[in-house]
Amino acid sequence: MTDATAQSFIDTFERERASLPGADGWLAARREAAVRELADAGLPHRRLEDWKYTDLRDVLEKAAFTPAPVHQGAVFLSEEDTRNGAALFHAIDRYKIVFVNGRLNRALSDMEDLPEGVVLKPFADVLGEAWTKALIERRFEINWQAQSVSALNMALMADGVALHVEEGVTLDKPVHLIFLAADDGASHMRTLVRLEKQAQATVFETHASAGAAHYFVDLVTEVSLGVGATLNHIKLQDEAEDAVHLATMRAALADEAKLDSFTMIAGGGVSRGQTFVEFEGRAAEAHVNGAYALRGKQHADQFCVVDHAVPECNSHTHFKGVLDDESQGIFQGKVVVRPDAQQTDGRQMTNALLLSRDASINAKPELEIYADDVQCAHGSTIGELDKDALFYLRSRGIDEMTARQLLISAFLDEALDYAPHEEARAELKALVAGWFEAGNLSAEDIL
Amino acid sequence: MAAVKETVETVGEVEKYKYGFSTEIESEKAPIGLTEDTVRYISAKKNEPEWMLEWRLEAFRRWKNMEEPTWAKVFYPTMDYQNAYYYSAPKQTAGPESLDEVDPKLLETYEKLGIPLEEQKMLAGVAVDAVFDSVSVVTTFKEKLKEAGVIFCPISEAIRDYPDLVKKYLGSVVPVTDNFFATLNSAVFSDGSFVYIPKGVRCPMELSTYFRINEKQTGQFERTLIIAEEGSYVSYLEGCTAPQRDENQLHAAVVELVTMDDAEIKYSTVQNWYPGDENGKGGIYNFVTKRGDCRGKNSKISWTQVETGSAITWKYPSCILRGDNSRGEFYSIAISNTKQQVDSGTKMIHLGKNTSSRIVSKGISAGGSSNTYRGLVSVHKKAENVRNFTQCDSLLIGDKCSAHTVPYIEAKNPTAILEHEATTSKISDEQLFYCMQRGVPEEEAVALIVNGFCRDVLQQLPMEFAVEAQKLVGISLEGSVG
Repeated sequence: MTDATAQSFIDTFERERASLPGADGWLAARREAAVRELADAGLPHRRLEDWKYTDLRDVLEKAAFTPAPVHQGAVFLSEEDTRNGAALFHAIDRYKIVFVNGRLNRALSDMEDLPEGVVLKPFADVLGEAWTKALIERRFEINWQAQSVSALNMALMADGVALHVEEGVTLDKPVHLIFLAADDGASHMRTLVRLEKQAQATVFETHASAGAAHYFVDLVTEVSLGVGATLNHIKLQDEAEDAVHLATMRAALADEAKLDSFTMIAGGGVSRGQTFVEFEGRAAEAHVNGAYALRGKQHADQFCVVDHAVPECNSHTHFKGVLDDESQGIFQGKVVVRPDAQQTDGRQMTNALLLSRDASINAKPELEIYADDVQCAHGSTIGELDKDALFYLRSRGIDEMTARQLLISAFLDEALDYAPHEEARAELKALVAGWFEAGNLSAEDIL
Repeated sequence: MAAVKETVETVGEVEKYKYGFSTEIESEKAPIGLTEDTVRYISAKKNEPEWMLEWRLEAFRRWKNMEEPTWAKVFYPTMDYQNAYYYSAPKQTAGPESLDEVDPKLLETYEKLGIPLEEQKMLAGVAVDAVFDSVSVVTTFKEKLKEAGVIFCPISEAIRDYPDLVKKYLGSVVPVTDNFFATLNSAVFSDGSFVYIPKGVRCPMELSTYFRINEKQTGQFERTLIIAEEGSYVSYLEGCTAPQRDENQLHAAVVELVTMDDAEIKYSTVQNWYPGDENGKGGIYNFVTKRGDCRGKNSKISWTQVETGSAITWKYPSCILRGDNSRGEFYSIAISNTKQQVDSGTKMIHLGKNTSSRIVSKGISAGGSSNTYRGLVSVHKKAENVRNFTQCDSLLIGDKCSAHTVPYIEAKNPTAILEHEATTSKISDEQLFYCMQRGVPEEEAVALIVNGFCRDVLQQLPMEFAVEAQKLVGISLEGSVG
């Protein structure tokens, strides 16, 4: 089957191959393989079960993105942008790495004075190191249909960041990755995170527009946690209305490692967030949580697979969302407990509030269990705002708009409580509280 | 935990004994393979009118271009549809003369289930005419129904005697082109039941396939059509708790239910076909399409199933809730053991206003079996105030089995309230300990706990089925501990 859109990406690869990172090393062969994979399979479409609710092929074909140019001149954030997610976390003391149109912008970044034992560099600079190669070449045992898009990223990834924390080191400040789109077009990025034994780090991720309207963000994040390592991760997605956001995170956890990831989706046209967690060692723990507040014609698809390959691990997934106007929300989750992965505790929950007649939600929380001594549960609820609660507030003189907003924030707050960083959590809550009127966040200096 | 294993093993072993079952019914078979001629042959054998033949042929032509579905979580060798018989007429003289000739182990199982002697004879394949005075039973039965105006007959008879009703409703719920197996069934269906309940009639008794004398050997491609007119009610029982043997490996049945305003159909199934031996050899492949259409306002369709047999079960009894205020229910117990594979669930399609549905699914997986719940709850845009509650629980017994849950929940209307919850666990040591500490032997304790686990569903079965089903659950778990 010919897939013209996949072909256009392959054409881009042919044009740019010489300038892509690692063009003269081992990575070149991997890229070639990925291109063949992409050519054979094409982009994923609705007839693949994992893509049932998001036809990426169709979306990208209609959008017809061209590669994003290297941005020239200063990056300008409009007042509109500063009111939204782009402004978040700026009050928190942190290391800052800014990508504009998918390329590192050193002027805006602040990655100096890192503690000893921490490497934070563009991944192209550390391609020679064993750990980056291991992460890039890593194959997960179960090959999901949903992972097929990583071939696209493999072929075209042009920039990105590599974070390495040595054994026993705790990163003193969060690392904030800021991905801005200043010009229209497609950008492909890769993030590599490796925490050695007992290392700890917190990573924030912000995706927002800095003037661009029609763009495609393709990001793959590879995470590898050593024994007892802890990674806290908060992602805020606040893309432009006409943007397509495709993000895949794959994490492998060694014994007693802990991943705590939280995703907030506030903006974007069509977005697909994929998280794959594979337990490699015992007694590890993964939290993959999130919240979304959608309106307009936004379409947000969250896809999450937790693979309990070994015994005694815990996983917890909870996504909550509100959907207004004609927005569409999707939650597809899967907990796999493989044979012998005894004493697994796997939890999965999704709740959605439909605020409008034209909004819709699809949920598919799956369990696949091959071991008997396990505790697994999933739940899903869908409904509208509680009329009695609304009446209660109205009867006490609170106007409808405020009452609704109160109930919505209360609903989302429960999910936001999972965000694994106190100050960041408070900022996210403020963002959600202002969801109805995006005007009440201060618009001071941004980055 | 070998409890369930043992049971199914027991049942499996029992089934290994072939005497009591005829194997030499060559004479009345249609030629091997499936061609237009086979379809014509079947139709001619049944003296069907021209329109029925056309209907079958149309299905067959469609089927030729269809592909076998692969999305279910079941694995089996590729079936050669051209290397099978699609019609074999029953032979009256093929069975044993009396129960003395029947394998004692089989009888033991019947005994445990508490099946009456006369019924045992029928189940064991003892030539009914010779020993079972069924004629009188059936006669009284038929008279009573006639009085009420209920039509209950083999579908082949209905095609001849009530062509207008059949023409109007056959294929109206499960279209000829619905899916691979339903289309196959449409082309070659052997027989099945036809039930018509007239307006305002409450069927005076529970209808059961058991009472249809010519039931024997028609199980392969069964076609059932039940129509409940305005304000009527019927409860229909299908199958039986005792292990059943069948010569045909592939089963592809279609069941269609239609309810008009204020009507209700309660459809209960107990399926205990041959599950294959301990290595997963043999056994029935059961690919069933069951669907109910709540066409009228305030109508209700309720599916209850106890699935314990078959090597492969592929079955999704569904409800189309078209009429306002209509209600769909699905209660299921699926027990799998040895190498059995179950992929079953339901679809609740909410189209009308104020429609509600309830799904309770209990999967019990033991041995090396695989048990999947696959369900869809879909709320369409114009369906206001929809309510759904779904609960699917899985119980794992032993560490070689697997349990999966694949629910799809789709809502396009904000007034819908949908709740879904699922759990997977094993029998907890605490529960076992509690029972045993009070003097309940381990085996009984397991049966007790599992029966408790299934209670919500068992309660939905009609009385006569419930007692047997409860025992069946117990038997299925015998020897599974220790």
